[in-house]
Amino acid sequence: MIIAAGAMLGGAGAGAGQWRDGVQVYEKVCSHCHEANVGPVLKGRQLPVAYIERVVRHGNRAMPSFRPSEIDDAALADVARLIGAGAPLVKE
Amino acid sequence: MSSKNRTLPKGVTAGDFDKAMREIRAIVGAEYVLVDEEPLAPYNKIMMPVADAQHAPSAAVMPDGVEQIRKIMKVANKYRLPVYPVSTGKNIGYGSAAPVERGQIVMDLRRMNRIIEVDADLCTALVEPGVTYQQLYDYLQEHNLPLWFSCPAPSAIAGPVGNMVDRGVGYTPYGEHFMFSCGMEVVLANGDVLRTGMGAMENSNTWQVFKWGYGPTLDGIFTQSNYGIVTKMGMWLMPAPPDFRPFCIQYPNETDITKIVDALRPLRIAMVIPNAVVIAHTLWEAPCTPVKRTDYVTGPGAISDEAVLKIQADHGIGAWNVYAGLYGTKETNDANWKIIEAVAAATGGKIITQEQSRGSQALQYRFDLMKGKPNLGEFGLYNWRGGGGSIWFAPVSQAKGSETLKQMKMAKDILGKYGFDYVGEFIVGWRDMHHVIDLLYDRSDETQKKNAYACYDELLHAFAKEGYGMYRANTAFAEKVAATYGPVKRDVEKRLKKALDPNNIIAPGRCGISL
Ligand SMILES: Cc1cc2nc3c(=O)[nH]c(=O)nc-3n(C[C@H](O)[C@H](O)[C@H](O)COP(=O)(O)OP(=O)(O)OC[C@H]3O[C@@H](n4cnc5c(N)ncnc54)[C@H](O)[C@@H]3O)c2cc1C
Repeated sequence: MIIAAGAMLGGAGAGAGQWRDGVQVYEKVCSHCHEANVGPVLKGRQLPVAYIERVVRHGNRAMPSFRPSEIDDAALADVARLIGAGAPLVKE
Repeated sequence: MSSKNRTLPKGVTAGDFDKAMREIRAIVGAEYVLVDEEPLAPYNKIMMPVADAQHAPSAAVMPDGVEQIRKIMKVANKYRLPVYPVSTGKNIGYGSAAPVERGQIVMDLRRMNRIIEVDADLCTALVEPGVTYQQLYDYLQEHNLPLWFSCPAPSAIAGPVGNMVDRGVGYTPYGEHFMFSCGMEVVLANGDVLRTGMGAMENSNTWQVFKWGYGPTLDGIFTQSNYGIVTKMGMWLMPAPPDFRPFCIQYPNETDITKIVDALRPLRIAMVIPNAVVIAHTLWEAPCTPVKRTDYVTGPGAISDEAVLKIQADHGIGAWNVYAGLYGTKETNDANWKIIEAVAAATGGKIITQEQSRGSQALQYRFDLMKGKPNLGEFGLYNWRGGGGSIWFAPVSQAKGSETLKQMKMAKDILGKYGFDYVGEFIVGWRDMHHVIDLLYDRSDETQKKNAYACYDELLHAFAKEGYGMYRANTAFAEKVAATYGPVKRDVEKRLKKALDPNNIIAPGRCGISL
């Protein structure tokens, strides 16, 4: 069985390397540290959107920086908005 | 850009640079070329103990395909622009996505993220450089393919091409990643597109199954080098075994490393244990548990042996913690499990099974890595010292107990002299060990930063004097590490560079290779 990616592009957001929305970015990237007792918990801290965006692009001490090629501006704005608003981002 | 302090490639005028950028914008689209300082910030985040400015890029370009890369190569040759390729750009502690030399243009291949083909019968994949392990994992899950890959610890955000090109390692039986790669596509400096192995032949369908092709096998020269830009890579996937039995064996004494290595080496060589065994020191486990350093150390300097013993007792961590797995059927694993139990009993080790590991963060991420499940659990290491400073010191050792003990003691002494802790592990290849030490320091503290640089320098030269070389190195020390391997090898590397990239366009200085 051979599966060529052409057949599934567009089907799976992450599979195609593009993010569906901020929820998916949080699940696939942020949560690996920030919901895993590695990085600080972000929820409930009412972090300003601009601050989150800056830390993601610049990195912060041990936190790596993320380039627009990894998380595009729109997806970053969405995830920053959701975190800032304290939206439920993981199954609780 | 008007700033007088703008970063430019060595020897390139501002006028030529601007012209070149205009031409590159026309190739990839304006939004995929960055030249201003603020948008370039993510390409200048490093953990190495040198100034950010030393590795500041002049620009970043994000092509989305081989044809665009070929055109960029033409422009780079015309203006003599140095181009530093990264795939997922997460070579953290080795240089991240920042260029090896100030002023180089980062060619960010992350947008090229197609999983081109997965052959479920032959268990192979063909991927582009921007594919992450998380993406590949999700892809296999979504398609219900019972196939595993091997990944490094930062798997969720890193990818197979960048990792393989730097000859990284992982934790399944396919953990020696270059060995389990099969076929590359490479854009050369002159824009030619080379497919290695069987891929060189028109209509070949054996590119991902037979690595060697005819004549010299070229794949190796595109790893830890700057002879080309890898745009596709074949990799082998492993059928998920019917029974997977990961385990940890804890040992109480630092000197136990001798008997651990001598007892496990035969099992590894005979492939009773098929994956890369990891032997992790207390201080690697502690931050990932997590244990706080400040609960055990006050004031400057390295942690004391007494404090390390206390951590072991307080948190149930071994002096050494051995991780490995059995991959097979229930029957074969039952048989081999008896061997593991016998070896642990004979060497005074305590086995922790998957069931017994529940609730332990450190064990969980390791067990996940041994089946290629992406996570970032190992980033816990950075909470140990804080301050975001890290470089990997990674010498190769024989898989012999006396050698590992000697290397461990040497490293610990030198680290201690500079006030740093021994945070190390041994990753067992078949006959070698990658001795990986995370030199953790507070990068916001200038004294620690200076000490970290001096410490790595002393480690490098003290180890080289004993005949121990690095398996891989950070970009700040590329030249010094290359020098430890002697002049003849370097001369051959230079001659290859001259032949393949006479204008010194691709990543000059990477692994010490430049014209
Ligand atoms: C906590 C932690 C744990 C780690 N554990 C491991 C581990 O278990 N195993 C391991 O191997 N590493 C480990 N690393 C190191 C590193 O993060 C990984 O090796 C990672 O996979 C490398 O980053 P990348 O895959 O994004 O490669 P990139 O950063 O994209 O590439 C690495 C280098 O290869 C060259 N290169 C990349 N792509 C190309 C290309 N297409 N053509 C030509 N040259 C290219 C570039 O010089 C680049 O700098 C660890 C790091 C951290 C922080």
